[in-house]
Amino acid sequence: MFEFLLNPVYQGWLIQGLLLTVEITLFGVLIGLGLGTLLAIGDIYGKKPLKAAIALYVEIFRGSPLFVQLFLAVYTVPAILNIQIDHGVLAFLVFGLNSAGYQKGYMKGAMETILDDQMQAGQSVGMSKVQTLRHVILPQAYRIVIPSWTNEFCSLTKSTATLAFVGFLDLVGAGRSILINNMQILPVWIVVGLIYLAWITGFSKIMDIIYEKKKIPGIELFMQS
Amino acid sequence: MDVWQQLIFIVEGVPLTLSISILSFLIGIALGLPLAFIRVYEKEVGFIVDAYEKIFRGIPEIVLLLLFYFGLGPFFPIPFGNAFFVAAFVLGLRSGANQSQIYRGAIRGVGDEQILAGTSIGLSKWRSIWHIMIPQVLNFSTPGLGSEYALLIKDSAYVYVIGLAELMTRAIQLKSIPPGDVVTPFVIAAALYVALTFPIAFWLDRWGNKRKKKLGL
Repeated sequence: MFEFLLNPVYQGWLIQGLLLTVEITLFGVLIGLGLGTLLAIGDIYGKKPLKAAIALYVEIFRGSPLFVQLFLAVYTVPAILNIQIDHGVLAFLVFGLNSAGYQKGYMKGAMETILDDQMQAGQSVGMSKVQTLRHVILPQAYRIVIPSWTNEFCSLTKSTATLAFVGFLDLVGAGRSILINNMQILPVWIVVGLIYLAWITGFSKIMDIIYEKKKIPGIELFMQS
Repeated sequence: MDVWQQLIFIVEGVPLTLSISILSFLIGIALGLPLAFIRVYEKEVGFIVDAYEKIFRGIPEIVLLLLFYFGLGPFFPIPFGNAFFVAAFVLGLRSGANQSQIYRGAIRGVGDEQILAGTSIGLSKWRSIWHIMIPQVLNFSTPGLGSEYALLIKDSAYVYVIGLAELMTRAIQLKSIPPGDVVTPFVIAAALYVALTFPIAFWLDRWGNKRKKKLGL
């Protein structure tokens, strides 16, 4: 049933697919983390128009499926601007922008749990607002946000399965290519599913360990109160 | 086709999008609530719930749809030969895994010692769960349920891969009709999705917070 796994060509496709999936997810969550942090800061400290713009951004990216956004990025945007852009770049961008929409919420939540008192404390010892943010609040916020970040990583990885439908050779794309030559539908999708499962479970486990190691001592008590 | 015809063609997919999402939401409640209570109160079998959640959090919906519809469909035409059933089944099971976590958080928020109070006045464990915990848990989890509903609307776009003619599938169909308009169909689809997700999630969040205040949770 699973003999196709022994074929080196198919192995190559699966590995290539996994690499693309991993690459695009990691870039996506990292772009999302950077942009999401900026959006969260803007939402907390910004003036009304900035807040409204951020709310609109979040609503657009969280309100529609990444699947639609991917089609918009790959087909619609180049057609409107009438330029040729590499599909890969567009895909990286749309995953990052989408993830930023979600991560803004997580970062804002994390920052708000530590914000008020420590902002005052920082300023009372002579640091500026930006310095307090940079040296006091963000380092703690990043430690608090790790579990939500892991969730975001899982859901973004799952969304990368859409890439196959705009012509990329990701894991699902590899599965489809194998199926063209080999009609064993069930085993191929089982294998593809298990690869995703192994990667997502493994990565979340690592992130859980990092969270435990890096977490602020006594944070559970604080979060409960 | 002009814009108006395209809009009508895509809007005709909205009932299917909604029925898939709502049906899988209900399946998710039916699975998620008991699983959350089993996870909290029956520690010995909790690992089964954990495994179920891990599997559905770790495998993309698209792969599951392809697996059940094209992989199992030929062997078990009833029920997996039916695309609508497969869609509701896969998204429902996925939602059950998510909702179980939402309810688990809510059980903790409501305070699981209320079960003790229930049993102390002579209710059985499961009766006190049914009469005391569930009404409060549902109220407590409305914000989470709002975003779960939005997630299901968005996930329903994946059923394109098994060929159900909902919103997303119709937009892609329009793209393949010559001359191949790649702008309007996707803009319309994105706008419709935002319109479907935003108001209800927003309203549920509002309503939930009000109820919570009223009940003093």
